[in-house]
Amino acid sequence: MNLFPFGKAALSIFVLTLLAGLWLVAQPAPHKTTTLTYWTFAKPHYEAYQKALPAFEKAHPGVTVDLELVSNTALASRLQAALLANVDVPDLCEVEIGQAGSLFRGPQKDIGFSDLTDRLMQTDASHPVSLYNQMVKARFSPYTSRGRIYGLPHDVHPIQLAYRRDLFAKLGIDPNSLKTWDEFVAAGRRVTVPGERYMIQFSDSDAGLGMEACLLQRGGGYFDPQGHCIMDNETAVQAMHWYVPLVAGKHPIGKDIGGVSSQFLTQAVENGYLLCMLCPDWRCKLIEEDMPRLKGKMALMDLPAAAPGGPVTSTWGGTMLGITKHCKNQELAWELAKYFYTDPAQLEERYRTLEIIPPFKGAWNLPVFQEPHPYWQDQKIGARYIALGPQVPFQYTSPAIVTAKNKLSEAMVACIQYYNIHGETGFEPFIRARLGRSANEVRALLNRDPY
Amino acid sequence: MSTTTVVNPSVQSETGSPRWFTLQHKLAPYLFVAPFLLIFLTFGLWPIVKSLILAFYATNGPKSNVFVGWNNFRFLFADQSFHRAVWNTVVYAFWSVVLQLPLALGLAMLLNQSWLRGRNFLRLAFFAPNLLGQVFVGVLFSVLFVPQYGLVNRALHALIPGFALDTEWLTNPAWVMPALVLTSLWMYVGFNMIYFLAALQAVDQDQYEAAMMDGANGWQQFRAVTLPGIRPVAVFVLVTATIGSFQLFELPYIMLNNSGGPDNSGLTIVSYLYMNGFMTGDLGYASAVGWVLALGLLAVSLLQMRATGTWKEGKV
Repeated sequence: MNLFPFGKAALSIFVLTLLAGLWLVAQPAPHKTTTLTYWTFAKPHYEAYQKALPAFEKAHPGVTVDLELVSNTALASRLQAALLANVDVPDLCEVEIGQAGSLFRGPQKDIGFSDLTDRLMQTDASHPVSLYNQMVKARFSPYTSRGRIYGLPHDVHPIQLAYRRDLFAKLGIDPNSLKTWDEFVAAGRRVTVPGERYMIQFSDSDAGLGMEACLLQRGGGYFDPQGHCIMDNETAVQAMHWYVPLVAGKHPIGKDIGGVSSQFLTQAVENGYLLCMLCPDWRCKLIEEDMPRLKGKMALMDLPAAAPGGPVTSTWGGTMLGITKHCKNQELAWELAKYFYTDPAQLEERYRTLEIIPPFKGAWNLPVFQEPHPYWQDQKIGARYIALGPQVPFQYTSPAIVTAKNKLSEAMVACIQYYNIHGETGFEPFIRARLGRSANEVRALLNRDPY
Repeated sequence: MSTTTVVNPSVQSETGSPRWFTLQHKLAPYLFVAPFLLIFLTFGLWPIVKSLILAFYATNGPKSNVFVGWNNFRFLFADQSFHRAVWNTVVYAFWSVVLQLPLALGLAMLLNQSWLRGRNFLRLAFFAPNLLGQVFVGVLFSVLFVPQYGLVNRALHALIPGFALDTEWLTNPAWVMPALVLTSLWMYVGFNMIYFLAALQAVDQDQYEAAMMDGANGWQQFRAVTLPGIRPVAVFVLVTATIGSFQLFELPYIMLNNSGGPDNSGLTIVSYLYMNGFMTGDLGYASAVGWVLALGLLAVSLLQMRATGTWKEGKV
């Protein structure tokens, strides 16, 4: 003790520190047997893949796949940080469509995902048609940067309208007569009672819940194939001019309550506060689970066309699967990606679980898509979505996609505020100027990029 | 400390190494400080220095950095979204501090009264919201603020005739800031109340007696005795509440669903920093935002200390 003249407390701390350090050093490093690490943010995907993995591992002896469920919000920042620092990067990762573009920043050589273009275009004697040509081409656009494809699309996500069949009948609305948005809006004006009942769930604050789908349906978007910002072009101006009076002014027919899925939305639809919702295929399952009491009272109809003969769908949401450059076994990762995304047995099983149609057209003739669904008044919902698949619009991306989406919402809110005060007076020039301002801010951001 | 500096001659003779003992004695303080210093330098100072360097680069990961000089700062000062974030943060900080501190002081004075029954329970009840994480509070209030079915609208609709059930607290730009301020009031009033309570209990009771003997009424006692007595704590609370308000992030992040809210009405400086750094991956620009925030906070704190006279007296 005399060798340590600083007191017992200090000695205790010192000894404890030493012991803790020795204990840590003595811990054997965990023996890692994982061959591939796979991140997904969607719990239904995770559960479906969990069921499918044993067959893949059996077919590839010695291979183990570590499937991780990471929350979407955490995934974006975790993946971003992992790719930036090249630490703990997964081998394969599913990324939500709205965030994919921001992962394609910088010089192409520094993009964290492997370029899948050559693999997708590859043909040989046993595969005369390339995988690229077997899939819905529009779905590659959000995962393409400077002409190269970095993600395999998981879905197509065409939109239909989910509506309260019973209330439509009660209110005398024939869904077959609503072929165009003009007809839909006219019916909506007739049945909407402000504060009590609205024709459709449309947001007046988030362009992602309504406006964006309408813009895409009209052939607009945020960026062109070269990555130039186009959110102030004539299509966008006209889409905004059409959309704003639906959620603002004296006769709105749209209202948002409860977002995509919540008990409040359930209550609003069950109470007849909302009659219709935009319904991409992924939302069918949510509606069925959130609103079981509406079984048989709901039905799907095509999206009204912007103009007679125009597309009767749009798209909302999406997921890509990327293989990171960090992955040491690219071939095996590609095998797993194809197994999950193109194997008919997998897609059939997954459709039963998620009701999401695959972009792999080779699977579209599976009998499962022809099955009638009791919740939706025995409609063959799979077949309906597949029929709309080829019409799904392209949506090009850019590293500034997050900002662009934000700016469109900002512009929309400004236009709504203007319309609430001034109505149609000077509205179109205002829209033009406001969208121009938002687009210029996005352009300024893109111009900053020195790469 | 004196016990550690006494040299025990028997030790020297027993070990026979007085030099080792002297060396050990000289090195010991550094060895004790070393773990903290090492951790601070690695995880504190180096990131600060690195962020300053990054602020002058366009970044895309450690491999591709391009020196852009003052471009990040130039862009920042012309960036509409940044202007909006600064304005929102200042408005939030102003209302938070202006409402929070008087409320906290009032509560503290009330709960300092010996005649109040159940005051220990009330102290705990007012402090309790602070025990919850901001994320939890954010989730809770985003449910409370839902239009049509949310508890806040239901209660206000019942209390105030004409208050619309459809009031959109989190989706109407005009209501977003009041929603954030109300949420933070619920969370932090009790926390600041504890500081004031401690300060009030430290005020010399003799001064109150003297004031009463001089005929001072309640307001005069408050101005002449209470306020000067709690001033150092009040300045501390003011400065920390302001700094905390400027660092607002979790509440809007959760309540506005990982966005700046409608028309960016809930975008704060730290949210904007996070979006750029971790969603867009532009660490250089995010670093520039961080440095502007740090310098802004320093300036505000100095101003506050100067305005309250604390700087001059050197009391903090």
